[in-house]
Amino acid sequence: MTAGRIVAGTEIPDLSSIEVDFVVVGSGAGGATAAAVLTAAGARVAVLEEGGHYTRRDFNLQESWAYPALYQEHGNRATDDLSIMILQGRSVGGGTTVNWTSSFRTPERTLALWAARHAVRGLDAPTLAPHFEAVEKRIDVGHGDPDDVNNNNRKLREGAAKLGWQPELIHRSVKGCARLGYCGMGCPLDAKRSSRTTYLADAVAGGAQVYADCRATLVETDRGRARAVVAEVLDRASDRPRGRFVAYARRGVVLAGGAINTPALLLRSKAGTDGGRVGRRTFLHPTVPLIAFYDQPIEAFYGAPQSVAVHHFADRGERVGYFFETAPIHPMLAALAFPGFGDSHRKVVERLPYAQATIALLVDGHHDDDGGTVATGGDGRIKLSYPLTPALREAAVSALGDMARLQLAAGAREVMTLHETPLSIRTEADIAAIAAAPFGPNRHTLFSAHQMGGAAMGEDPARSVVDSRGRHHQLENLWIADGSVFPTSLGVNPQLSVYAHAHLFATEIAKAG
Amino acid sequence: MPAPAESAPAKGSEGASIDRRRFLKRGLFGGALLVCAGSLPFVFRTTRRGVAPRAPLRLLSADEYAVFAAVAARIVPGDGADASWPRAEALDCAGKVDALMATVHPAVGRDFRRLLRLMESGFLGALTAGSPRPFTRASAAEQDARLEAWRRSRFALLRSGYQAVKRLADAAYYSSPEIYALVGYPGPPLVPQLPGGTP
Repeated sequence: MTAGRIVAGTEIPDLSSIEVDFVVVGSGAGGATAAAVLTAAGARVAVLEEGGHYTRRDFNLQESWAYPALYQEHGNRATDDLSIMILQGRSVGGGTTVNWTSSFRTPERTLALWAARHAVRGLDAPTLAPHFEAVEKRIDVGHGDPDDVNNNNRKLREGAAKLGWQPELIHRSVKGCARLGYCGMGCPLDAKRSSRTTYLADAVAGGAQVYADCRATLVETDRGRARAVVAEVLDRASDRPRGRFVAYARRGVVLAGGAINTPALLLRSKAGTDGGRVGRRTFLHPTVPLIAFYDQPIEAFYGAPQSVAVHHFADRGERVGYFFETAPIHPMLAALAFPGFGDSHRKVVERLPYAQATIALLVDGHHDDDGGTVATGGDGRIKLSYPLTPALREAAVSALGDMARLQLAAGAREVMTLHETPLSIRTEADIAAIAAAPFGPNRHTLFSAHQMGGAAMGEDPARSVVDSRGRHHQLENLWIADGSVFPTSLGVNPQLSVYAHAHLFATEIAKAG
Repeated sequence: MPAPAESAPAKGSEGASIDRRRFLKRGLFGGALLVCAGSLPFVFRTTRRGVAPRAPLRLLSADEYAVFAAVAARIVPGDGADASWPRAEALDCAGKVDALMATVHPAVGRDFRRLLRLMESGFLGALTAGSPRPFTRASAAEQDARLEAWRRSRFALLRSGYQAVKRLADAAYYSSPEIYALVGYPGPPLVPQLPGGTP
């Protein structure tokens, strides 16, 4: 078969259409992998990608370019009350273009929870193992390398070690990494093994066509089958539709637009939404940052962004668990995170080189918390609401105290919380004040870089959207192969799990013919 | 969970009557206050326009642009910054935000314009911070008090509104290479342009 290619929106005539075996929506970890596996099995595949096609020479390492060009809603995605800022990729390569490369297999206790409480069947560690192995090989997941650890991560490692909290080195999906520190802005060396440089390249080499600048707006269904995907062809400069494009699917449709866009696409299409499960139980690993200042420069803007993780508190029994990692500190992202305005805000940003950022990611969905809800309005706008339940607040407050302890143990001069009225913590005795500080929507900085759920898998159609192999309960030839199938959050960075589940699902789709 | 009792410190808010509080509360469901803002047609009649936009505006009207420019001037970099710090206007914060917000979903752009209308409103200024003038005509101290009142408001919508303008101003300002040296950031490393590429 002749190789396909990546087509830009400007090359797609208005009102044009194509017909292929499988239409894949999204080119990130899920979509690229599904496209590669289906192509290798001999199918004709088209991939629709909403974002633009950028290569390493486009990645200028400037936040002013990267966030508008490479993130959903031009870097403005958030919950509808703006209380949680959502970092989610949007370009050819999807989230993998901007992912910080941290690679974990799905924890066995999470898989066990899905089996016990969400009727997921036949999805245990041995079943997934060959798929993880294949993916880890293709995207060059290495072993934890102590040389990856920059000052920002070293402080996390030292503090955790002193407290007996068992820091681990993170396995990263890189080859020839120069540890520049700009994974979140696109790797200018292609050292990060994004889907664009791996599975998408494989799919294209095998004949798949990738249509960039194509936003899927509608899945057309007919008598329980998905027939076609209708897309708007976007003008890249204005992000407004300049034409319409239809991809007809002879055999099936695979949705992999990520765990906010995929449920939104089904809702907008009113496709397979009977039962009201689509868009429910969206999980975010709500992320609570804590800043520490040291006497020596940390320079958290350079070096591998994440190389150390601490899962000591991931399982807190009846209470919501959390795990610690770090976040790189570049001027814009830091200024967004730091509270206040005017002089008080600037005086914090001025200490940038001395700042260390530890983050706590809350493991949502493992208890009685139902996460957030994705909805679409009549105007097509995606609305994500995410209530901060008392259980999540308890976890956040507990995590803030533990992170402060960790940073003090690592030798921080001062720890600064990101409450609207920041607390300054210099000794253990100061930590008690955290419990009394107002914590709630827009009273404390919160992020999410991990979007999961919204179209959960499971064998009970009343409680899930797809089965344990990603096939839609109501549409026999529609599959979902992205993070939206996860019935809960994972408790680890999700990218590798998205790759591996898509690899498993696509392998079975190809077999099913 | 009830909103924590972090009261607005701005003068005047203490005396807000129960009726006014009720109005605000009722107006908050489903962002109804933003919808109300659309029916404030006269709010810009008295807007003070500052420096003209450098380029043709893509989303905002000239008045809306002036409101955001006035807000950004209070958010970055702060009056205490020495002369080496560029002002918000010198980095074209309002122009950059106009260009960015022209590319987001039209409904988001519409809400942003309504938000600027609300921020300019002397009526809401009086209600939240005892500042009955349009934002663009209020003193710097009054403008700060109004932003502070929104930031610490017990009403979720006002806190959201504050975060929207605060983050946009911060993003436009602190993503500018002009401030890198001022915050101790040497900037991105130079990356040699290697031949080849993928795919």
